[in-house]
This record gives sequence, C-alpha cells and structure tokens, in this order.
Amino acid sequence: MRRRLSTLASLLAVAGVLAALPFIISDYNVSLAAQVGVFFVAILGLNILTGYSGQISIGHGAFMAIGGYTTAVMSRDHHTNLVVTMLMAFAICFVIGLIVGLPALRLSGVYLALATFALAVSVPQLPLKWSKFLGGSGGVQSAQTVSHLWLYGAAWTASSILFALAWLILRGRVGRAFRAIRDSEIAAVASGIELPVYKTLAFGISAAYAGVAGSLFVLATNGFAQPSEFGVFLSLQLLVGAAVAGLGSLWGILAGAAFVGLLPSVSSSVPVIGSAHGRDVVFGAAVVLVMLLLPDGFAGLLARLRRLARA
Amino acid sequence: MTVETFRVPPVSLLLVAGAAGLLVGSLRSSVFAELTVQGLALGAVYGSLALALVLVYRATRVVNFAQGELAMATTYVAWQLIQWGLSYWETFFATLAIAFVLGVVLEVVLVRPVQHRSVIAAVIVTVGLFILIDGVVNWIWGAGLKFMPSPFGTKVYHVGGVSIARLYPGMLGVVLVSVLLVWALFRFTKLGLGMRAAAFRPAESALVGVRVDWMLAIGWGLAAMLGAIAGLMTEPSQFVLQPTLMQPILVYAFAAAVLGGLESPAGAVVGGLAIGVSLTLVVQYVHPITSDLQTPVAFAVLVGVLLLKPSGLFGRPEVRRV
Amino acid sequence: MAVNRKRLGPLLLALAATAAVAGTAAASQTSTPGVTKHKIVIGGTFPLSEGPSTGGASLYKTIAFAEQAYYAWVNKTKGGVFGRKIDDIVLDDQYTPSETVQQTTKLVEQNHIFADVGSLGTAPNLSTWGYLNKHKVPQVLLATGDAYWGNCVHHVCQGTTKPWTMGWQPDYPGEAKLYAKYILKHKSGAKIGVLYQNDAYGKNYFNGLKTGLGSHKGQIVDAESYNVGDSAQVIGAHVFALKAHGADTFVIFATPGASIAALATLPAIGWSPLTLLNNVSANRIFMGIAAQNGAKLNGVISTTYVASQTVQANLKGMKLAKKIIHKYAPTGVGTLDKQFASGDQNLVYGLAVGWTFVDGLRHAGKKPTRAGLMHALRHMTEKNNPFLYPGMVVKTSKKRTFPMEQLIFIKWSGGPTGDWHHFGKVFNSGH
Repeated sequence: MRRRLSTLASLLAVAGVLAALPFIISDYNVSLAAQVGVFFVAILGLNILTGYSGQISIGHGAFMAIGGYTTAVMSRDHHTNLVVTMLMAFAICFVIGLIVGLPALRLSGVYLALATFALAVSVPQLPLKWSKFLGGSGGVQSAQTVSHLWLYGAAWTASSILFALAWLILRGRVGRAFRAIRDSEIAAVASGIELPVYKTLAFGISAAYAGVAGSLFVLATNGFAQPSEFGVFLSLQLLVGAAVAGLGSLWGILAGAAFVGLLPSVSSSVPVIGSAHGRDVVFGAAVVLVMLLLPDGFAGLLARLRRLARA
Repeated sequence: MTVETFRVPPVSLLLVAGAAGLLVGSLRSSVFAELTVQGLALGAVYGSLALALVLVYRATRVVNFAQGELAMATTYVAWQLIQWGLSYWETFFATLAIAFVLGVVLEVVLVRPVQHRSVIAAVIVTVGLFILIDGVVNWIWGAGLKFMPSPFGTKVYHVGGVSIARLYPGMLGVVLVSVLLVWALFRFTKLGLGMRAAAFRPAESALVGVRVDWMLAIGWGLAAMLGAIAGLMTEPSQFVLQPTLMQPILVYAFAAAVLGGLESPAGAVVGGLAIGVSLTLVVQYVHPITSDLQTPVAFAVLVGVLLLKPSGLFGRPEVRRV
Repeated sequence: MAVNRKRLGPLLLALAATAAVAGTAAASQTSTPGVTKHKIVIGGTFPLSEGPSTGGASLYKTIAFAEQAYYAWVNKTKGGVFGRKIDDIVLDDQYTPSETVQQTTKLVEQNHIFADVGSLGTAPNLSTWGYLNKHKVPQVLLATGDAYWGNCVHHVCQGTTKPWTMGWQPDYPGEAKLYAKYILKHKSGAKIGVLYQNDAYGKNYFNGLKTGLGSHKGQIVDAESYNVGDSAQVIGAHVFALKAHGADTFVIFATPGASIAALATLPAIGWSPLTLLNNVSANRIFMGIAAQNGAKLNGVISTTYVASQTVQANLKGMKLAKKIIHKYAPTGVGTLDKQFASGDQNLVYGLAVGWTFVDGLRHAGKKPTRAGLMHALRHMTEKNNPFLYPGMVVKTSKKRTFPMEQLIFIKWSGGPTGDWHHFGKVFNSGH
C-alpha cells in the first residue's frame, strides 16, 4: 500500500513540476522542455520494443519521419486539425510497424539492428524521389505553426496519455508475454506464447509512439518536415535514449529523454571545445561513458540505489 | 582441431560466371570496361571495410558501427603526417601502425567491459564512439575540405579506347595485397591460428594456452588497420578529405559483410567486389535505377539477404544454444 | 522514489512564488532586442562543420569569419556605430535546414539578436524566413542569390509577403541568364548539358538558364540533378551521363563538393567541354582542390562581383582587406593570411557584406530599431564599397528589391596554379 502511495506521490510531483515549469522558465527553455517531451514519447515506445520484447531497432527515426510527414502533408493539403493529424500518425505508424514487424520476426540481435539501420537510412530518401507529393529536399510546410507553449502542452499531454497506455499494456497479459519473450524466446514458445503475434505487436506499438513523436517533432521545427531532420542520427539518438533510460522506470525514461533531448543543445555551449564541435564530442563521450558505467541505464542505477537505501 | 574441408559451393560457380560475364562485357564495350574497373576498385574498398567489420564480429561478436569513422580518423592522421613532411608511403605504414594501436586500445578500454553484458550495450558504445570520433576529428582538424595527394597521381591511361585512371588498379592492388597478407597471417602463422581458435572456441583455446584476451584485441587492431587502408584508398576517389568520407562507404560495407556472411572474411571481400561492380553497372545500364538510388538498392540487398539467407553467401547457419 | 506528501504542498507553493518573481523580472526588457547603449548583438547561421547533408559547404565558413573580422575592425578603429560595438554571433547549421531552424530560434529567443545578418544558404534561409518575418526580425544580406529574396518583398510567396527578408549578392537567375547569352553568342549550336543541385538553389539557376536561352531552350540535351551530400561517385555518374547524351557544353550549378567532383571527373572520363561554373563555386581555393585532383581548369568561365585580392592586389580596397584579415581574424580560428593570399574570395565577400551592413546601420540612426534598419537597407545607394569590383554598386529602393545587379565575366588561365582573369565589360544581370 505504501509503495502505491509513494508512486502516486511521485507521479503527482512530476505532474506538478510540469504544470508549473512554463511559468518559471524562459520561452526558449520551454521549447527545449517540449523537445524533451517529444523524445519521451518516442523513447517510451522504443523501450517497449527493445526493453520489453527484446528486439533492437536502429530505425525508429523512419517511423518518426512517417508520422511527421503525415502531419505536415495533411495540414498543408487539408488544413486538418493538428491533434487529429497526430492520431492519424499513430494509426498509420501502428499499421506500418506491424508490417515491418513481420519480416523482423526472422531476424534477431545484430541482424535486426542492421536491417532496421537500413530502414533508418532509406526512408528519409523517399521524399527525394516523390518530390511532387512529399516536397523533395525542400520539405513540406504545414499550414499552421504553433507556439512553444502549445507544443509543450501537447508533448507532455501526449506523454502522459501514452505513458498511462503503456502502463496498462505492460501490466497485463501482453506485458507478461513481452517479458517472457525477452528472457527466452524458446521458453516462451514452450509455454504457449505465440511469438509472431506479440513480437509484431511490439513493433506496431513502438512505431505508433514514434509516429506521434514525429508529428510533434515536425511541429517543433516550425511545421517543416524535411528529409534532413530524420537522418540516421535521429534513430541513433532514440536508441541511445532508450538504453540510457534502462527498463521499467518512469524516471529512467525521463532521464533518457532529457539526455538526448537536452545534451546536444547544451553541449554546444561548452566553452573549451567551441560551439561548432563541442556538441558531438560531449554527446559522444557522454554516451560511451554512460553505457560503460551504467549498462542497465538509469533505471538500473535507480534500482541499485533503492537496494542500497533499503539495506 | 578441426580442419576446414574444401568444398565448392554453388556460390563459387555463380561468381565464376559473373567474372566471365564482366570479362566478355569489357571486351565488347569500352564504357563497360571503364565502369567495371571503377566498380571493382570501389568494391575493393567496400570489401576492405567489410572485412574489418567481419574480423571484429568474429572476434568479439560486436558490430562496430564506428568502424568507418575510425577509418576516417586514421586517414586524417595520415593527412597530418604528410603535412609534417613524411612521404606518402612512410605515412601509409606509420598510419597502419597507429591504427593498429588505436584498435587494440579501443577493444581493451571500451569493448571488453560491455561485451558480455548485452548486445544493445555494445552496439550503443560503438554508436557513441561514432559520434565522438566525428566530433573529435572536426575539432582537431576543422571542418574544411582538405586535399591529400594520391599515391597513384592523376594519370589516366588510354588503352584501346578505354580510359582508366591509374587510381583504380592502384586501389584494387593495394586492397588485394592487404587482404592476401591478412589471409596468410590467419592461415600460416601461429598467431593467426591462435586468433581463429580464440574466436571459434574461446574456452577450449584458453585451456590450451591461447591468450584469448590478447587475440581479441589484436583482432580489433587488425580491423583498424584494414579500415585505415580503406580510408586511404577511398580518399583519392572522393577528391577531398572531409569528415563524412567513410559514411557512404559504411553502408556498402555493411551490405557486403552481410552478403558474404558476417562470419566469413572471404565473403566480405567478395561481397564488396560484387556490390561495387554491380551497383556501378546497374546504375549505368538499368535506367529506372539512377545513381542516387545506389544506397537504397544496397540496403535492399542487405535486407533481402538477411531475410532469405542470414548467414550470407559464404557463411554457415548459426546455431543458437538454448 | 518516495515523496513525503506533507512536503508536497509547501513545495508547490514555493514554486508558485518563484514563478511570480521570475515573471515580473522577465517583464522589464528593453524595447529593441539586441540593442543596448554600448552594444548591438546580431547573429547568423553558417555551415561551420560538415554533416551528412553539407556537401562541402563548410568551405563557406570563411565568409562568417571575414564578417566578424570586419565588425571587429569597425569596433576597434571607429568605436563601433554611434558608440555601439557590434557583436556578431555565428552558429553552425551544417547547411541543413532543420538545424538552421533550431539555431535561428536560439539566436532570436535566447541571444535576442537585433537582426539575422548574412546567413548562408537558400534552403536554410527558406526554412526560417516564415518564422523571422512573423516575429519581424530583419533577415538581411543573406549569403545566397535566390530570386525569392527580391521577389517576395511585395508579392506573396508561400502564403505571405516577406518584407523583412533581403538578399545582397546578384541573384542566381540573373547570373544564369548571362551564361545563356554567353553560350548563344560564343558557341551557337552548342549542345548543353546541365548539372544542378536538386533543391530551390539549383532550380533557381536552372530556370534562369532556360529563360535566358529562350527559344534555344532545346539546345539543352540533358540536365542532371544531384542531392547535397551525394558522393563523388554519384556526381561522376551524372557527369558521365551528360557526356553520354552528346553535350559539348557543360554548365555547373552546384555547391563546392559537387563542383569539385564534377571538374575532377572530366579528365578521367575523357571529356573536355566548354565549362561554365556558377560564381558561388568559383572560389580559387575550390579550383585549386579540383586541379590537384586532375581537373583541367584553363578556359572555364564564370562571373564575379567582388574584387580579386590576387589579380587586383593593388586596389586600395584589397590592401585594406588584407590588413583587416591579418589583424582581426576571429580568435580560435587561427591565422587566415595564407587563406587570403591563396585567393579565398569568401573573405572579400564577407568584408563587403559587413561594409554594407554597417552602412545600413549608420543610416538607421542613433536609436536603431528593426524597422529602421529595414528602411535604411531598402533605401540605399552605396557606391563606395571598397571590396566590390570597381564601379559596382549596391542600390535599393521601393521598386528595386535586388541590391546588386551587376556581374563581370572571368576566365581561368595559367593551369593548376593560375587564376581567374576578367574580360569584357560589366554586365547588368538585373530585371
């Protein structure tokens, strides 16, 4: 009972801080905080795939691209309500995620990583080929642009809703199936779990989350969807964020989202190394260090601290 | 100790047929000949980097996403040595030595700690390394385009209506010689035997006195050397030295490594040559496929191979232990 | 992670109190951002480093360095403008539009710049002009010659007019039309092959060329487009295709990475066409790199509008340029003297832009506002810019929204260590 209360309390604390934040920090920093929210959504989804069902993907930037372009194109051509476009992105990416998940069934570990890497590189090239509809290298500009505050609200509201959804999914039979698959596929099959169903489902869900994140991402970039936004680096950022987050902790995912959302912008102000290159050096070094020191991510660190606190 | 039996897989027949086709085509059309030479030269570079990837994978079960950036970094080191006055070939061998040391250091410091924990952790360490190396190179050498003199000069031979830049046979030659040396190392030396044993059966090798840890580190060092060769050979064909030098090559190297089989060194090299030649020719002769579709096509090959025969053309199917 | 419920209430109260205090503090700000009694803060985005879609554009970073050097010279020798020293913040966008959006947002909302000055790139600036115009931030003297910057001041483009945006250099369509005229005059019946960048930048040139050829448009036998960041192999394949279509005249509308690759590929495939190169790619440094890779440069044609520090070294403006670059190169960049002596025209370009900006700032008066700056820049007659080709002017008015409309032809001679030499008269490239 006490654990339930403390969990509830920590959720309320987070909600409270989030609600108060825009009033305390500058408008520019609100836009940064919104970016963290966008990554939160994407990493939440990727965590379900990688952490819970044990499949690696270095290609979720592709799903963000699909979601982002959905929003931009629907807004440009039909002036669709932006929130509606996000729901569309969720649905479209869910289906595409299921479709991608099917061939992924045949691959595992490193091979899956390579195949999804292929996805990450190839999908952003598509708008260059279909430039009439998808804007080519110039990209697609949505009809509406949003303020930093709107984006902040949308990102964190979406994060809350999707977090609750993830919690519901993971505490039930689906979650148990995922965990069983991650621990041992062969044992899972032996105990009657239909691998193909759950594995593709994990892909679908994580893709849907990435799609919503992509919509928000495009809105954060003045409503522009461009191939250059969705390069390989983005997929790498997502994977790094999921790894830094570790498994099974809200705080972990917040930490992961803050890590990839803020560190690149913050590190470009590092004085010694200089604005142009500081970003990559600091971010790259941080990634390497975090994985060496905390291979189970932030969640692992928290678990260790909790055990220490109780001892 | 197992002795590898020599079979003639059907794939080899396919390759011989392909080679014959290239020869016939080159004799009949000068354009075909030019493109074949160019494709083989590029393919040699892809193969060299792919071989580096395979060596690392065989030794430590890690796919090193930073292999290309490492190759790029060592190429910059070479540029710096030339600026400091060394001749090209002095620089070449000095760079190989530096690359070797760098590879060993990386294995010991970064890979060993995470190797056994999880695939994801190791992948992400190499991803972080990718970003870090890119940043460091940009920081030290600035971002501008640099020029490095080619050891083969800019001479173009004209043989019976066919224009062949001396660069291409040069690239092909250097890579093939290095690959042969590596093969000889594995096949004929005690060190090579130790490395193969350490990769194939680490526990048993340790029992018979093989210093497994050392073998793995040397594997990384060798891979770094091959990457350095790939970088040094690629640079003249790209005309300028810039931090993004190896990024497109990495893509093709992955495709080549997968095509040949992640466990097969020979497969990596052959895969590289095959991809290099095929892409160059397909872009010229198959009209819907334009040159900017090369990367997606390479990836289609990669995904196709992964789905149909994940162990690649030359590899053995992997058996997973329960 | 347990949070004591008893402490939660006071915590939230404290947060609210902080918010109130911070809110009132933030309200007291000067009315014109970026302008204080002693300083004017401006900013711009440039490709300072290479990313996957930069395609060699980082070679243009010396433009930014020259601009900063110029402002440093003005600050030191003239105490700034009306006692305000100019602080120019340059951020790296790697010629990647999505990055430009992020960095420009940072400049406007975190650094509170007075104006966005000199930012480089057609696509990058197109991704921020909506935002900048919406927030009424001057986006001026851009390092790109796209016709949008002049055409959209009074006309609607992409939904709104863009009165806060202004170019500087002679526009691309105008330049391309001159190349068309040159070909028609000196090589009638030419079979033209075009290599152009597949974005607004390249298409701007290509459309200008077609307009300039008029009824002779059919002489274009093939046009190949490439994407920024394409490898040398891909570019080479495009050049090969142009040769295969029988072209004997090669027009290049590219950025450095591709233009160097295109020039270097020519001897390797045994093709020696009449070659015309867009002036943005005609920097002597780029040509040097191409030559070292085997390119045959003699006879290549381009245009220019800034003075040449190598061929016209005795001009007063070039001596001043040399001095400024020598003494005021930004810290952290090292010395730019060798770069200057090797003929990097970006340095002269940057100084020329700086001159125009300071000229405009002076005319904006002792209490500059953003609107005042725009007015000054849009009603300007500048005949004494020492860094431009002698006799060329920067002129704007309500009707004339393109500041520079003059070009002179140049032709390369002297082999790999040669240079560009002017010929013919100054042409009007305008509308």
